[in-house]
Amino acid sequence: MTAPLSFDVHRPRALTEALDLLDEYGATARVIAGGTDLLPKLRNGRLSPEHLVSLGRVGELDGIEETGDGALVIGAATRLFDVQRHPLVRKRLPALHHACSVMATVQIRNMGTVAGNLANGSPCADTSAPLLVYGATLEVARRDGHREIPVGAFHKGPGSVDLASGELIVAIRVPPVPAGSGSAYQRISARSRVDMAAAGVAGLVTLDGDGRVAEARIGLSAVSPTPTRCPEAESLLTGQVPDAPLLERAAREAAEEAKPIDDVRATAAYRRHVVFVMANRVLTTCVARASAGAGGGTP
Amino acid sequence: MSTPPIIGARIPQLGAREKVTGQAVYTDDMKLPGMLYGAILRSPHAHARIKRIDTSKARALPGVKDVVTGDDTLKVAYGNWRLVPDIQDEYVLAVDKVRYVGDEVAAVCALDADTARRACELIEVEYEVLPAVFSVEEALAEGAPTIRAEKPGNLSLTREIEYGGVDEAFTRAEYVREDTFRVPTVSHAYLEPCSALAAPDEGGRVTLWTSTQTPYIVQVLLAKTLGLPENHVRVIKPQVGGGFGGKMELRTWEFCAAFMALRTGRPVKFTLTRADELAYGRRRHAMVLRSKIGLTRDGVILAKDLDVLLDSGGYNAMGATATFLVGNFGAMLYRIPAYRYLGRYVYTNNPPASAMRGFGAPQALFAGECQLNMVAEELGIDPIELRIRNAMQAGDSVPGVATARTCGFREALEKVRDASGWVEKRARKRPGKGIGVAGCSFISGGVFNWFDTKYHFTSCEVRVFEDGTAHLLTMASDIGQGSDTVLRQILAAELGIDIHKIRLTAGDTAVTPKADLGTWGSRVTLMAGNAVLDAARKIKEMLAGVLFMEYDLNQIHDVAFAGDRVFVRAKPKRGMDFGECVYKALRGRRGEPLTAFGYYTPRDKGLVTPAFSFGAQVIEVEVDEDTGVVSVEQVHTAHDSGVPINTMAVEGQLEGSIHMGLGYALSEELITVEGRVRNATFLDYRIPAAEDMPPSASYEIVTRDPEGPYGAKEAGEGLVSPTAPAIAEAIWDAVGVRSDTLPITPQRVLEGLGKL
Ligand SMILES: Cc1cc2nc3c(=O)[nH]c(=O)nc-3n(C[C@H](O)[C@H](O)[C@H](O)COP(=O)(O)OP(=O)(O)OC[C@H]3O[C@@H](n4cnc5c(N)ncnc54)[C@H](O)[C@@H]3O)c2cc1C
Repeated sequence: MTAPLSFDVHRPRALTEALDLLDEYGATARVIAGGTDLLPKLRNGRLSPEHLVSLGRVGELDGIEETGDGALVIGAATRLFDVQRHPLVRKRLPALHHACSVMATVQIRNMGTVAGNLANGSPCADTSAPLLVYGATLEVARRDGHREIPVGAFHKGPGSVDLASGELIVAIRVPPVPAGSGSAYQRISARSRVDMAAAGVAGLVTLDGDGRVAEARIGLSAVSPTPTRCPEAESLLTGQVPDAPLLERAAREAAEEAKPIDDVRATAAYRRHVVFVMANRVLTTCVARASAGAGGGTP
Repeated sequence: MSTPPIIGARIPQLGAREKVTGQAVYTDDMKLPGMLYGAILRSPHAHARIKRIDTSKARALPGVKDVVTGDDTLKVAYGNWRLVPDIQDEYVLAVDKVRYVGDEVAAVCALDADTARRACELIEVEYEVLPAVFSVEEALAEGAPTIRAEKPGNLSLTREIEYGGVDEAFTRAEYVREDTFRVPTVSHAYLEPCSALAAPDEGGRVTLWTSTQTPYIVQVLLAKTLGLPENHVRVIKPQVGGGFGGKMELRTWEFCAAFMALRTGRPVKFTLTRADELAYGRRRHAMVLRSKIGLTRDGVILAKDLDVLLDSGGYNAMGATATFLVGNFGAMLYRIPAYRYLGRYVYTNNPPASAMRGFGAPQALFAGECQLNMVAEELGIDPIELRIRNAMQAGDSVPGVATARTCGFREALEKVRDASGWVEKRARKRPGKGIGVAGCSFISGGVFNWFDTKYHFTSCEVRVFEDGTAHLLTMASDIGQGSDTVLRQILAAELGIDIHKIRLTAGDTAVTPKADLGTWGSRVTLMAGNAVLDAARKIKEMLAGVLFMEYDLNQIHDVAFAGDRVFVRAKPKRGMDFGECVYKALRGRRGEPLTAFGYYTPRDKGLVTPAFSFGAQVIEVEVDEDTGVVSVEQVHTAHDSGVPINTMAVEGQLEGSIHMGLGYALSEELITVEGRVRNATFLDYRIPAAEDMPPSASYEIVTRDPEGPYGAKEAGEGLVSPTAPAIAEAIWDAVGVRSDTLPITPQRVLEGLGKL
């Protein structure tokens, strides 16, 4: 049922101003970035805040910067489209680049943000699995403080994240990808090209000088209550030569580690199966990219 | 006489600019002074007896102006099938019982929409919940609960067709197969959810603006349910954002808007949400189709036996027509000398199904065309060749039903075969790639007078003026398909004037001539087009006399109308501007305006339609064998819609049909568990997006139908049918999986491949 839409919109121009507003209005306020998740929830009455604090005019939150140590810091108000087309994202973070190219629609990508994608708390969030394997952290600020949360600890359950009222995600910090790594992301929306993913798999494989796996990371979305890593599958790979049979075994293990459910988008059995298929494909691409010495290119 | 160039032209819809710039006015855009907002209370139960309704708390809520329940109404059963009153089983608000989740129980109007909704929540209804049934099989089982007292056993209707000695013919068949197909219920998903606004009018009359395909039907049934003379009710159709069959009956919110406007003396508006539409709105029938076919070894069809169970949901709606048409379409496309059909329309406690684009054809042809493709495989005959061997031809009749006076089916098959590179692609297998075919046919308007109208099936009035312009008044309803443009093209062609000089007034029951049965059954171009021809020819008679007087013409001369001029055909210089001719005629009539009525009623045209369209479609797909995802890569369509009046409009229909067919084939289904729709949002109910649309090539097979205006037949619905069976065949060609169930989801593909 449609709820009455009645709230005040605040459009601060500085981060400090935004934090003051969030502090003042506490639990009655909500941050709005692109609004692509928030507006449907306001319309169908699942959220009814009294104040919206818009990030649209906070210039300092918009943009991607490289820090001295080679990390990329994605401002919370940066549009998905700007993330996708950024040359360093394309080169170093192909999994994130791919997620931002295929999720949603052109119109949504021109409005939505990575921070909003994560803060919305959906286990299907397309940027979550890539950011998991890249070991990203969220920089969170409030009026009187600041903290950092690893992406892996941010999601608490479907629709629930580690953010208190008064807090704001300022940026997403992606540390430099180790030398000799390759990464990739695949997602499947089984019913239409424009659809929430039924499953998403991200991978990052780092090879040592002998061509063995120094480190492997596999991230899953849409197949468990929160985006999740696959420790068993990852340890299967570590120290091994990543030949096709091994990658397939690891992909099977990853599928075992998924905890999918049946819903109107897909059955659990289907989801588990495609986690295997996509993990196999993703890992194969990761290894190829790592061997080619380049992290880059689209999958 | 050659066809005027405006026939067959590519003309963007007149009024398209207003639509894309947001100027066009749809019902929900309208606000009247003092307007109240309506809300509907719906049943939470699939089957229950209403024991008590207490509206006192709702009435007491500040801002609430009226609350109505079934007890406030006349309690007359109504429905579109006036010809058979027993089929009319619906009430504007529930009387004693509710029969599906969403059945309308009460309505409120208030100063604002939120108050109206809150008031609905304050209405207390005491239900005695009854056992319910959710599938046709359960509903027909021994001891099933009775949904409507008049129909114990829940079998609402049956329809039988039989000719040609079916049993004997099967004994002669060298090859027989029998298959069962299941198709789901899907939504029209029109862009504009239903909306209705009513205002009281002087003398106890009422005006209703409503998003409808059928203003005349709404007028008549509204008058009946309000207990008013028909002429007290004026129904106006503003711009309508699609209907596809879902807006062709009187609906509760239309009644409630009018009823409460009369009770409160204030305008009242109701607008449904998308969630209402998906959860409770009309939908396409789910069916179980058992089809048996017998052929000779070299692929000549001898007999077909089709047994269909249709899921009605809680009320009949347009079900009687659906039950008949599935049987009709089961016999179309091919020469089937012996045919038997049994259609059973079964009440369940699901939301009621009704008319939807293709009306019986998508289901019948999914079964029939898939089965024929299986036959082709087993007999080792190319599926297109098998179709050509059996294809109907011009002059063929479906016994007792109809005759196809024109038929371009064979040409359509040959065209898509050659244009798609079919022969080579079928022969040279590429991993994961496949190509499939299916045919289609549809009616160009219905002949059967189920509404029992006493008027002509369609009527119009044409007025011409001395400034060279004309005014076309018609009750025919453009709901987005472009008939307002096509009818003006026909008038422009006849009168020989610029189309932009024609003003149009449409779909207003107090102003446009009685009657027109509405937009359904792909009837408007043929029927309303013929009425326009009729009126235009009468006007031309009035004008021709002017030339005979002016030039003292010999009786043998003919008068031509073209280029905004009226002239002697054999001596084009002898003539005058159209406006001048009207002026002179007007003088001669001593001021009596030049106006003429035109009518069309199909007479002696069998039981179904005056003309059938035909078509064939070839579709290429790629299937990912690991994920089961099907990508449609190319569509080739050849279509016999007679002479297309507006080729751009025909293309638009084709593209829209592919879009709908794609969803029907691969992704759409209202997932309904115990009568409750689980995916009542566009996030979860998957219609294809623009990015899913495949490239498509289309070819017109032009036949000149003797009944249609300028030879035109239908283009609105036939093409919605071949896409699903063609995709099913292409998937089989690609990966060897046959699906007898829609939609063919990745899950079903993987199950077929034994991977799940
Ligand atoms: C048609 C459609 C298709 C979609 N398809 C996809 C898809 O394929 N994949 C996918 O993952 N998502 C999809 N989405 C969801 C949505 O577009 C994305 O999640 C998007 O990234 C959200 O970003 P936003 O800036 O619009 O968030 P908003 O709607 O502005 O905010 C979302 C939530 O995050 C909070 N929030 C936003 N920014 C901050 C911040 N800086 N600090 C703290 N809290 C914050 C808001 O308060 C709100 O609760 C789709 C949405 C639509 C409408």
